[in-house]
Amino acid sequence: MQWRWITLSLVSALCWTVTKVAIPLLAAAAIDQGILGHDTRALVGFTVAMVVVGGIQAVVSGLRRYGAFRLAYRVETDLRQQLFVHLQRLDFAYHDQAQTGMLLARANTDIQAVREFLMLGPLTAASLMVLVAIAVVMLLQSVLLAVLALGSLPVLLVAAARFSKKMGPVSFALQHELAEFSGVVEESVSGIRVVKGFGSERMQVRRLEAEAADVQGQALAASRLRSRFLPLVDFLPAVALVMILWYGGHLVLDGRLEIGQLVAFNSFILMLIWPLRMSGLTIAMAPRMAAAAGRVDEVLATEPTVVDPPHPVALPDGGGDLRFEGVRFGYHAGPPVLDGFDLHVRAGEAVALVGATASGKSTVARLVPRFYDVVDGVVRLDGVDVRDLRVADLRSQVGLVFEDTFLFSDSVRANIALADPTAPLERVERAARLAGAADFVAALPDGYDTVIGEHGFSLSGGQRQRIAIARAVLADPRVLILDDATSAVDPSKEHEIRAALREVMAGRTTLIIAHRPATIALADRVVLIDGGRVVAEGTHEELVATDARYRDVLAHIGEHEGRVPVVEEDVA
Amino acid sequence: MRGGRFVAADAEQQLDRAETRRVMRRLARLLRPYRRSIVVAVGVLTLQTACLLAGPLLVRRGIDQGIRGQVGRALDQSAVAYLVVALVALFLGRVSIMMVARIGEAFLADLRVRVFRHLMDLGLDFFEREKTGRLVARMTSDVDTLQELIQMGLTAFVQNVLLFSGALVAILLLSWQLALCTLVLLPPLILGTRWFRRVANRAYGEVRERVGANLATLQEGLAGVRVVQAYGQEATFAARFAGTNEAFHDANVETARITVRYFPFVEYLGVIGVAVIVGVGGWFTTEGIVTVGTVAAFVLYLNNLFEPVQQLGQIYNTVQSAGAALHKLFGLLDTPASIAELPGAVDLPSSGAVAVAGVSFGYAEHLVLHDVSLTIAAGERIALVGPTGAGKSTLAKLIARFYDPRVGTVSVGGVDLRRATLDSLRHRIVVVPQEGYLFTGTILDNVRVGRPEATDAEVEAALARLGVLDRFRALPQGLTTEVRERGSRLSAGERQLVSLARAALADPAVLVLDEATSNLDPGTERAVELALEQLTDHRTVVVVAHRLSTAARADRVAVVDDGRLVELGTHADLVAAGGAYAALFASWTATSVQR
Repeated sequence: MQWRWITLSLVSALCWTVTKVAIPLLAAAAIDQGILGHDTRALVGFTVAMVVVGGIQAVVSGLRRYGAFRLAYRVETDLRQQLFVHLQRLDFAYHDQAQTGMLLARANTDIQAVREFLMLGPLTAASLMVLVAIAVVMLLQSVLLAVLALGSLPVLLVAAARFSKKMGPVSFALQHELAEFSGVVEESVSGIRVVKGFGSERMQVRRLEAEAADVQGQALAASRLRSRFLPLVDFLPAVALVMILWYGGHLVLDGRLEIGQLVAFNSFILMLIWPLRMSGLTIAMAPRMAAAAGRVDEVLATEPTVVDPPHPVALPDGGGDLRFEGVRFGYHAGPPVLDGFDLHVRAGEAVALVGATASGKSTVARLVPRFYDVVDGVVRLDGVDVRDLRVADLRSQVGLVFEDTFLFSDSVRANIALADPTAPLERVERAARLAGAADFVAALPDGYDTVIGEHGFSLSGGQRQRIAIARAVLADPRVLILDDATSAVDPSKEHEIRAALREVMAGRTTLIIAHRPATIALADRVVLIDGGRVVAEGTHEELVATDARYRDVLAHIGEHEGRVPVVEEDVA
Repeated sequence: MRGGRFVAADAEQQLDRAETRRVMRRLARLLRPYRRSIVVAVGVLTLQTACLLAGPLLVRRGIDQGIRGQVGRALDQSAVAYLVVALVALFLGRVSIMMVARIGEAFLADLRVRVFRHLMDLGLDFFEREKTGRLVARMTSDVDTLQELIQMGLTAFVQNVLLFSGALVAILLLSWQLALCTLVLLPPLILGTRWFRRVANRAYGEVRERVGANLATLQEGLAGVRVVQAYGQEATFAARFAGTNEAFHDANVETARITVRYFPFVEYLGVIGVAVIVGVGGWFTTEGIVTVGTVAAFVLYLNNLFEPVQQLGQIYNTVQSAGAALHKLFGLLDTPASIAELPGAVDLPSSGAVAVAGVSFGYAEHLVLHDVSLTIAAGERIALVGPTGAGKSTLAKLIARFYDPRVGTVSVGGVDLRRATLDSLRHRIVVVPQEGYLFTGTILDNVRVGRPEATDAEVEAALARLGVLDRFRALPQGLTTEVRERGSRLSAGERQLVSLARAALADPAVLVLDEATSNLDPGTERAVELALEQLTDHRTVVVVAHRLSTAARADRVAVVDDGRLVELGTHADLVAAGGAYAALFASWTATSVQR
């Protein structure tokens, strides 16, 4: 695919070079033989030849650009696709640390910089071919004239190289200032309630003024560099024209050169101005492109740590027996969140994990589908170390409902049928019914076809959570994990879901992470987690009766649960 | 609708003629303070262009008088003169780039601040209507488009226009006969350029649209990556992305198809131009109408006629995006602030007595509050209670004049808030939002948001009043600890404490609190409660209560339901009365665990 455009580009560039050099030579012949030699037929003949060659030149010029552009766009598109696919593969640990804005910049501006360079690269190469061809033609006429006329051009290349070297850090600094400026804007807009609440609009404006002044200073530094280089691009060719006029003129006076050839040499120099500018631009762009490509490559070179094992084990039949054995884990080489964590959840059993904030209960849930890998110890599903399974096999058997529900800008149906996009509507409806979502979905403008998500219909926090539960139900996993999955549901409606959840949980291993006693009551057994390990277990009633720590944790949560359920602001 | 124009401007990128005229007029007005510098800069640019245009004339003189006239000295003189004008052009080129940059960057800095100031003055209703991302884009990518124009193309744009007109005048003066023959090429050039502009506009519009759609897919793929992985749908989303990515590619290829037709066409016209000049010029030479030097000068000038047209075609896109960006920025500047100071506004008195009288309020046609009346004595604590969407947050916002009521009045200390100066309004009435939002900077900087002119000692005193000074002093860098990335180094409770300290520093008569719904870490929960006690002492407090325990502690409870004030009284009275509040309280005590 790419080779087609490269070949087209190269062949047409060669033809273009020939026509580019031929036209001024034809003009020279027309002047010398036609005008000065008073030969009307030669004048007409050479003039017509110019028009014909010009036509050929136009065609190959178009093809040359087309080839270069197609190649650049193809590479850009493929690179972006590759980056997207790679980002989808990178593990949770990577995405926890990467900033979305930074990744968007990689896929957007950085890849665009690569594309622009690829577009200009072949055009510049073709221009350099023309430069060489012209140098040869001039050298054949007069060595000294060629040296005088073309001598200033290396200066231009040296200047361009120095310019680009200096421009790199300056434009980087400008980008940095622009980013700081955007930071203040973003902060002020996101925190507008604080700004308005305290009437600190003026203070924000003062902060912004300082940032705007920094941007201005840095932009002027960039302009100063540009002002030293860009006028040279006009000046150096002018020096060449002066040399041709002066030395070439004397050659004509001495009868060693024709006037027409002098005009042709002028045309050659004119032809070189634009290619030289372009080369300068490309050279200036090269470090930016290299930096951008380096940044993209850095992302592509990052390998996910959670990958399929070399010799995956097939998941044996089983009901979702789950074992944590001596598990130790900490995020990003930080202090351990879980340490010596042991827990056995029998197939079909429902266990509630209870603990204070940051006790590690959500972390337990995230280790099961290998969102992270344990540092020490082992997590087993139906007897097999989860790291010995193919990731896809494992995840298809673990349904995790997060506290924050992410909805894609797509129909309700597609959002629920995430695990199996081809699922028939009946299955989607059944999943929605079990999650207690059927009623509100039916009331949506287009029912299951209603587009939700950022660019669609807004759902309340509780409704979003019910969509997420439906998603997990549709996946029909062996292990179901509900991580604060009903926290945003109105308690007055939660009992409806609880009944449905009982049905969903039947015959499935379930881990419940919850704050509400009523939800905890869904579990067969409760384990209390503190300091990264299990410190007590039993039924809810037993623990309430016997364990002071358990009562403390629940009482603390109970305080929060006494609130009138408000999750969304009043203002839609 | 107020936001209508702003939104519409975002939807379409291309401006029609009338809009362009409006943008230009408005731009001219904004540039008025710079007019002297602009005149000088244009003068320098004109001079530089004149130097560039002098070259071909000197070549003509060198050929006609020097070579054809066999006078070596005339040739030398012409060459030296050419070198001199080239040197002058070099110098003026440096000067003009800097002059244009100075004007452009100063204008841009001014515009950035101006738009931002206006943005900050807009009412909260505006921010609730518009997406954060879109507003930030106005201030960043749209202004950056202008920055790019100034950095990359503005000087070239002006210079090319001057170069083209100058070359036109020069050839007409040299030989109107040969000039007319050359100018035959202009109509196809102009027609071709107009075609290009029209078609390229449409194609680049499509590209912009698709780049947006592609980025949206990308962003969603990144934001939802955890869910995608959890359900093993990486391939589905890769395919979805491939759809928008390829559509973007196709739109780009379409622009390539257009540019590869246009630019070679212009190039070809240039070749025909040379052929005409040489052919017709040659014939004119034998007839004695023009000299060989004139023919040579024409060939050189042809470059100055065609090169600018091609370059302008390239810059045109940037100029156009800049125009569209300006249009959008002006749209934002034209959005009126819903909360503005009336002429003859008075300062609010120091009293904290609040009176809400017959207030109705709504967004669009839907009413959120119906005829609400509520009198709050100075120093009284009142809790607003009610289900989601009942209107209690809206009522709190009306008391802080985040909006103005449609019917009725809200007054503090006997002064209608609409008649109060904005400055006194924001000093007397302070709203502490749910979440403790932090700005980049130190803890000192963040508390100072409450009263920007406060000294460090006053900030410390405010923290001390809430009993949290030692807590923040204990941080590694004490109160000068930087709280980066939206305060990620502080816990939610600590952020809330900073937020409360702001209010303590502002020392308002009326405090509007939106109670946090999210759970705080146990370590700071108690500190936040104590700080709240301190802060609310001796102030009129309106709290949007999400926990009934908070409501129980208030002097009076106002129950809002379906936009109406349905119950009002002390906690004990309302529980005894057995109404809506009593029912809420009963259901809470039932589900709550006994302590």
